[in-house]
Amino acid sequence: MNSRPETLSEQDTPQTPAPGVGWEEFSRELVEFFASIKLAMFLFLFIAITATIGTVIQQGERAETYIQEYGEDAYRWFLRLGFTDVYHTWWFTGLLGLLCVNSLTCFYKRFPAVWRSMKQDKVSVSLAFIKGMKQQAEVVVPGTKESIAQQLAQHYVGKGYRVLAKNEAGEVTLYATKGVMGRVGAHMAHLSATVIVLGGLLGSYYGFQEFGVCLEGQTYHIPRGNFDLKVDKFWIDYHENGAVKSYNSTLTVLESGETKITKTITVNDPLVYKGIWFYQSSYGDAWDQIEVARVNIKDKQTEKVVKTIDLEWQKEQTLSDLNLKLAMTDFVADFAFNSTEKKVYSKTIEHANPAIKLTVNERSTVQATPWIFYQFPDLFEIKDSKYQFELIGYKPKKYTGLQIAKNPGINIVWIGCTMIVVGITLSSFIYHRRLWTKIIPSGASGVTVHVGGTTHKSQIDFQKEFRKLTEKIRTLEA
Amino acid sequence: MARSLFLFDMTFWLYLASLTLYVAYLFARRPAMAFAPAGHPAEDFDERDGAWATQLGQVATLVTVFGWMVNTAALLTRAFERLEHSGTFAPWSNQFEAMAYVSWAIILGYVLLELRYKIKAIGAFVVGIGFIAMGAASLLPYRYQTAEPLVPALNSYWIYIHVSVTLTSYAAFAMAGGLGVMYLFKERAEQRGSRSRFYAAFPDLETIDELGYKAIMIGFPMLAFGIILGAMWANYAWGGYWSWDPKETWSLIVWLIYGAYIHARMTRGWEGRRAAIYAVFGFLMVIFCFWGVNFLLSGLHAYA
Ligand code: HEM
Repeated sequence: MNSRPETLSEQDTPQTPAPGVGWEEFSRELVEFFASIKLAMFLFLFIAITATIGTVIQQGERAETYIQEYGEDAYRWFLRLGFTDVYHTWWFTGLLGLLCVNSLTCFYKRFPAVWRSMKQDKVSVSLAFIKGMKQQAEVVVPGTKESIAQQLAQHYVGKGYRVLAKNEAGEVTLYATKGVMGRVGAHMAHLSATVIVLGGLLGSYYGFQEFGVCLEGQTYHIPRGNFDLKVDKFWIDYHENGAVKSYNSTLTVLESGETKITKTITVNDPLVYKGIWFYQSSYGDAWDQIEVARVNIKDKQTEKVVKTIDLEWQKEQTLSDLNLKLAMTDFVADFAFNSTEKKVYSKTIEHANPAIKLTVNERSTVQATPWIFYQFPDLFEIKDSKYQFELIGYKPKKYTGLQIAKNPGINIVWIGCTMIVVGITLSSFIYHRRLWTKIIPSGASGVTVHVGGTTHKSQIDFQKEFRKLTEKIRTLEA
Repeated sequence: MARSLFLFDMTFWLYLASLTLYVAYLFARRPAMAFAPAGHPAEDFDERDGAWATQLGQVATLVTVFGWMVNTAALLTRAFERLEHSGTFAPWSNQFEAMAYVSWAIILGYVLLELRYKIKAIGAFVVGIGFIAMGAASLLPYRYQTAEPLVPALNSYWIYIHVSVTLTSYAAFAMAGGLGVMYLFKERAEQRGSRSRFYAAFPDLETIDELGYKAIMIGFPMLAFGIILGAMWANYAWGGYWSWDPKETWSLIVWLIYGAYIHARMTRGWEGRRAAIYAVFGFLMVIFCFWGVNFLLSGLHAYA
């Protein structure tokens, strides 16, 4: 048992105010303001309230959407206040920044006291101090002050308390404490907010997120990583009832032609190479390519279908019996024509008005490249041809949607997250308890034990513990 | 499927029975001296109860524990059904299962609380919430109650842990909400000077207040952990750990609301009545986050 006189109190000792409104006073006021719990409560609630905005108003939509739903005046206000992208406005970011400053200042102001109480704590207290506590008791037991103190101290140590003692002429004072880690945990949580925000900032400045629409068999250059990505295969698995079970892409990373890594990714199982993550994000029907087109060949005179053929993408088929060579050379999902550039393109990615381009070679004399429409079979006619071509169906080519992302701040974010969870958990389940005991000789062969204690929370458990403690003291004897 | 649905049904009726018993326990005759002297330890409730009350209380506890075991069996059965049909284990993969799981967690929490503090009066409030959760689940249309396979984005081992942790934190907040309501009841009775035997079974205000605080101190780190697990999952599945999707934003909002609460308690005047009202308000926000968001707002989590 070591005895050390109390030198530090938990409360900051009041400083004599500097005359006038000096820098010192100003900075003290500033720390006071930023370390205040009131500000923290205000920030917690204000961030909560403003965060609801973005869950009610759709974020990042086009202007027309808002005007249609809320009217033009409201939209103008939305723009002014940033309601169409709340979470990236200067004021919302500012609130998060303030929360960081707030919790850092709190740490700065209060942690030193917690730290000191881990090293050294208040032993000397007055009898009045003990008697003034909410949990306090007074028990007379036989024995000398030293032997009772010895037994009590052992009891405290057995219960996991750290004990400091001070033996004076007329009395012994014991101080027992436990669970300061709960408070350390709270302060760990206070630091974590800033760590998370820093990690987030790092990620948003030095990271990127892109979406790639990729087709099977193609190779794509990833400039940010200076390597190539080849999509070897893409397929979809189904449940028995036809619902999609999973979708998967086999990807190969190539660096100057050399295979580095091959992996089949699926939702929830990405590929990571050189810090760049490739996620299976979505899939869909390509809008500029299909796999197979089914075409009816009609005789113009008899109006009868003479043959139905399946044309594969950009593969010529020879039909010697009809004296025909056919190929499907192009496809658009939603036909549109740009008259200035004289180019056909797909207006949207929906298969709203699909069309294929045929290359027809008939009897080596008639040559044509007509667009054949799925929805308008009679739109085009090849003049000198014997035949009419109709697109009656096709098998779309699936693209795989890859999310490509790099986030150099992510590990810092995870460190902050660990701190917050560990910190809050510590502070929830461990509470700081302190017991002061004064043992004063009284009567002929006995001592009076005055014991009092505080906890900064969990009063009822502490009450129970305290009751047991007083019962224990009653049983002590010399 | 039928087997687990039968068990869920049975759970519902058992919880109804146990709620009824706890309410009956409150109304049972007990010696009039019963009001605990202010500030005195709230133990030995058994001694204050009359014979009827004691017996009712014991039966209520037994029925609750049995109901909870049936609830457990229902969830396990559903887990095996899921394994057969949809390749996951987690019996909290749609709104119905999530509700059944939340009531399981609430009742478990309550049983532990009763074991530790022996205060049966709380049952009328907290088992009540567990019962309502189970009841609301049974009211969902049949097509929500079946174990349909999950969409690929949700089919991952992350769902085991992210969802269960988050739902357990909701249960803790439900407990705090129930205790808040109880506090307000008791406080009104005291203010009116009521000596009705109904309130005699209640613990003193300070105990109710402390227990409510404890429940929130369990829910708060759990929700933090749940949100973070969600962020890790999102990072793994979609390539971004935070996308301000309505559900994740709302769980953050709920977390912030409780964050304000725990800090408020350190300042004067935020115990007792105000804290009780706040806990009820917080629980309403949890309900919105759990139900409202799925049905009223759109986003990745609106899978129900
Ligand atoms: C950023 C998010 C924050 C989190 C996650 C957080 C978390 C916590 C937790 C879990 C506790 C322990 C509560 C208890 O023991 O009952 C705590 C205590 C405390 N918090 Fe925070 N807090 C945050 C921000 C702030 C801010 C901005 C302030 C500004 C004043 C603040 C001031 C305090 C104080 C003074 C304590 C008591 C510390 C002690 O016991 O020594 N907190 N906080």
